[in-house]
Amino acid sequence: MIKERTGWLMAGLAVLLLIIAVYSATVGTADIPFNEVVLITLNELPLINRYVSAPEGPSRTIVVLIRLPRIVLGIIAGISLSVSGTSMQGIFKNPMASPFILGVSAGGGLGAAIGFYLGVSFYYLPLLAFLTALGTVFLVFALGRVRKKTDIATLLLAGLAMNFLMSGLTSYIRYMSPPEKMVQMQILSFMLGNLNEAAWNQVYITLPIMIIGLALVFAYSRDLNVIQMGEESALQLGVDVERTKFVQLVTSSLLAATMVAFTGIIGFVGLMIPHGARLIVGPEHKRLIPTAALIGGIFLILCDTISRTIGEIPVGIITVLLGSPFFIYLLIRNRGDTGW
Amino acid sequence: MVGTLEVRELTTGYGEKEVLKNVSISLKKGKVLGIIGPNGSGKSTLIKAITGVIPTWSGEVMHDGKNIDDLHRRERARVIGVVPQDTFINFPFTSWEVVMMGRNPYLGRFENPKRDDDLAVKEAMEATKTLKFKNRSVRELSGGELQRVVVARALAQEPRLIFLDEATSHLDIGHKLEIMNLIKDRAKHQNVGILSIHHNLNLAARYCDEIVLLDGGEVHAKGTPKEVLTRAHLRAVYGIEAEIDENPRDGSLYVTPIKRQVMEEDKEEVVHVICGGGSGRVMLKELVEYGYEVTTGVLNVMDSDQKMAEFLDLRCVTEAPFSSISEQKNSENLKLTEEADIVVGTDFAVGPGNLDNLKALLYAANSGKKVLLLERKEFDERNHVGTEGDRIYRELINKNNVKTVTGMDKLIRQIDEGNL
Repeated sequence: MIKERTGWLMAGLAVLLLIIAVYSATVGTADIPFNEVVLITLNELPLINRYVSAPEGPSRTIVVLIRLPRIVLGIIAGISLSVSGTSMQGIFKNPMASPFILGVSAGGGLGAAIGFYLGVSFYYLPLLAFLTALGTVFLVFALGRVRKKTDIATLLLAGLAMNFLMSGLTSYIRYMSPPEKMVQMQILSFMLGNLNEAAWNQVYITLPIMIIGLALVFAYSRDLNVIQMGEESALQLGVDVERTKFVQLVTSSLLAATMVAFTGIIGFVGLMIPHGARLIVGPEHKRLIPTAALIGGIFLILCDTISRTIGEIPVGIITVLLGSPFFIYLLIRNRGDTGW
Repeated sequence: MVGTLEVRELTTGYGEKEVLKNVSISLKKGKVLGIIGPNGSGKSTLIKAITGVIPTWSGEVMHDGKNIDDLHRRERARVIGVVPQDTFINFPFTSWEVVMMGRNPYLGRFENPKRDDDLAVKEAMEATKTLKFKNRSVRELSGGELQRVVVARALAQEPRLIFLDEATSHLDIGHKLEIMNLIKDRAKHQNVGILSIHHNLNLAARYCDEIVLLDGGEVHAKGTPKEVLTRAHLRAVYGIEAEIDENPRDGSLYVTPIKRQVMEEDKEEVVHVICGGGSGRVMLKELVEYGYEVTTGVLNVMDSDQKMAEFLDLRCVTEAPFSSISEQKNSENLKLTEEADIVVGTDFAVGPGNLDNLKALLYAANSGKKVLLLERKEFDERNHVGTEGDRIYRELINKNNVKTVTGMDKLIRQIDEGNL
């Protein structure tokens, strides 16, 4: 239906993303008007800043150093998680797959919990979470290799098992940690996912990873389509199935692990956004991937704006609270099939 | 050879398990080659091995003189298109999108479908009568509609060879014939080679130019349907008794399975049955079903026992209808008793014409064979040759290696126990 107008849809979503991003920067404890935010933002951009002048002062500091990095990181997280989820659902041929299916979240959670428990500095905590997330995925991969091939069903079960194992260990650390040291709270906050500690240096690290990840997933759009016919048929249609699975699983795990390291475990985005996008543009990945990316970005900054407005509750709580009813709505709407 | 697919001495399997052993087949362009065989005989594995889904252990597959393993998988997909038995699609792709996937081997990573791709898809959907639901989600299609979409996908692939893996088994008879006619038409007019796995022997007989019968991963028989679809082959491979008729209209064969044998396993023993007048009819069939190699004689042609022996394709010494046993036939019969491990005599009526059959039983007993006599009727009631018959009979039953049994079940049990 929308096939012919996908280009316009993308443009519309991109503009919407921009507007919401700027609007989000006006929201917070200090009231900063829309046009001032626009001017400050434009003034910060190279080249354009020659033609735009913006007022100096506390508003500028708040926008540039606090709100903008948080919004940009939110967009990056939304895009990364949605693209990762789309790729995972494609490879698993299952709309219930998520970026965390291979144990990224539980692994990252364990690393973070260890970090908080040992009092590791904020600089190294993301690194620790990132490494444990990838280590877990590596173990799951090793378990899922059957006769030199990646067996999707085995992989799913291996992911499930490692998720349980890592979560169990995390719970143990939480249980053991003394309450007065705030470790419990820190771990909980990580498990729920938040953008509180956003800073530009995080953007500089996550943005290139997001761009490379998005490009790699998008490059395999058609392979992801053909794999939906079943791996055997895909092979007979000329798809390098093993390479596709490998590249996609590694890329989407990397995207998810990076975001988990910096923003904690923001749930539901990677599971739900691909669904929503699929309802709009259908399952064809060349349209689905960019659509999911844009909707993911929009959704996450909307959720974070709400989270900031109602008093700094972790954004992961908002995504789940907004996401679950939508999910239930989809379930009821699609009950008795015709698919997702 | 140009214009063919040559599979030479192909051996492959899964893990340690060998599934195909030294399979050699040849598929010519423009022809339909059928692959038949029971479950587990390796039919689907053959397609998997040729299309590179599983590696071959040894042997080679040549297409137009080139080893197919040297082809890039995209090139291979331009040579061979496959229609699987089932397709499950979790996401609501439209029919058009699914057929367009057949163009995958022609499109670069970032290339969008062009005019000729659209044309190929449209033509394939027209041929399979699926164009009318090109915008519908494949998840809303019936099984038959989806299968026709998948056939269209294979056609849009424009391959030199099309492999059908029981592709029509879920379709109703109308669509079955429609698809097979379409495929056969492709073979003829576009010089496409078709390899088609069939469960349905009649469909195979009707549409295939040649048939390969697989059994336990090996080629049991190959040739024209007439050469392959014989009672002996079907019995040996499927363990069924079947009648094979020729359709008077188009000369195609028609296979009617009669009964499945109980075939626990093929037994080594040869049982020679001396019978006649219908007394051995059921016995012959039962022994065959129990897996024994059965011979019989001497029977008059048109005797109901003889008809059964012919139906079961048994080695049988026959005499002209209503004639006495000649000396030559008698000696042939005696030879068969010598070759047998066990000789069975039924309670046939003894007259002057077949007294030699009674003597043959005595001959077998005298030469030390185990002889079992079926005695549902007293000998007196069926003796029509007076004292000579009596004398031979008494000599027979007094032998140590001769046993009389009153029922057929008991007799077969005796043979079976003799086995242990």
